[in-house]
Amino acid sequence: MRQTAGTLNRTWLTILGIIVLAAGIGLLLQASGQLHSLANTAPSSERVVTGDLHAVTSPQWVVVVILIAGIIVGVLGLLWMLAQVPRKNAADTYRLHDDGAQGFTVCDPSVLATAVENQVNTLPGVVTSSALLRGTATDPDLTLKVTVNDRTDVQDLIHRIQTSTLPDLSNALETPLQKSRLQIDVSGRTQGTGTVVHSTGTVLQ
Amino acid sequence: MSRHDGRSTSLRRRPSRTVPALIVGILLLAAGVALVWLTIARLMNGTWSMVLQGPRDWLTGLTWNSAGAWGVGVGAVVVGVILLLCAIVPGGFSALPVRSPDGSDQAPVQEQETVMTRRAVAQLARARCGQIDGVSSVTATATGKRVHLNVKTSLRESGDLRARVTDTISEHLETAGLDPVPRVSATIQSNA
Repeated sequence: MRQTAGTLNRTWLTILGIIVLAAGIGLLLQASGQLHSLANTAPSSERVVTGDLHAVTSPQWVVVVILIAGIIVGVLGLLWMLAQVPRKNAADTYRLHDDGAQGFTVCDPSVLATAVENQVNTLPGVVTSSALLRGTATDPDLTLKVTVNDRTDVQDLIHRIQTSTLPDLSNALETPLQKSRLQIDVSGRTQGTGTVVHSTGTVLQ
Repeated sequence: MSRHDGRSTSLRRRPSRTVPALIVGILLLAAGVALVWLTIARLMNGTWSMVLQGPRDWLTGLTWNSAGAWGVGVGAVVVGVILLLCAIVPGGFSALPVRSPDGSDQAPVQEQETVMTRRAVAQLARARCGQIDGVSSVTATATGKRVHLNVKTSLRESGDLRARVTDTISEHLETAGLDPVPRVSATIQSNA
């Protein structure tokens, strides 16, 4: 239901991995002296810092540059951490009719989601459900999570959702759904009532 | 990146690499805070903090072919490879696809996706297995492609119990609509 930053993470981990790997390989080539023979860099026996380090870092503008770099790195790290929080990204208010001459009709998607949940909760075997609408009123997406007990006929449940709940939602919005995503979960508690019959040892003919 | 476009994304996802991203994010934030703190102290006091004295002495005494430079190089290569592996290794899907029943194409939906979480598949298999005669207790685990059951039985001779368990669970998962049906395996332990 909630959306995570999978693409963002993969992209930045790849970029940082390539940068750090390239730096490491470059440093190893320099340390072994091969980079000196290939690109005419400093000999491997030479010091890494040849000049006066204090003189390089003394000017005020260098300090300011380091300060700005620190702020940028810190903010990027903080934003990346905040991006890890899973988000619903639910739809904004649906504008069902936005012709100003005839008035406006708006609908909170959470109202429709609650109606969907209430309808799904009445289906056989459903323990609980959670619906989330995304997109727009003319291009809606439904994401539905349904928790069922372990004796539910899953195919029958899907059929009922597809032939009753989805058409009802579509009728309410007066447009077909763009996407419908259904996640089925099974309750950890084994059903002990309903269709379960414990044998008493007596067989009735 | 693309998650704020207001559209739904697939429910059948691979791992989002949250842990490595959080670790690198924390390190970046720590580095940023350290740089800001050091530079602000430098601007206020006029001299760099004494904390930097050690690293500065180490760096000025370092030669390219010294053990320290080799160590930093090897460390960078290892970290880079780990980051790339975290990004590239795809990982398993979080859920298994479920086929739609016949007649579902009449639903007023342009694109449909139905999935069952791995935990749900394991729970479904565990519950059905518990109903098989001869099974005392059972635990189940599910991945994207297979389901494994650890069955305890009070039967002295388990006989064909393993085959009965795997056949029954495979049929049950097929009936539930999992497509493709995960491969079912079972370990039988007799507690008689």
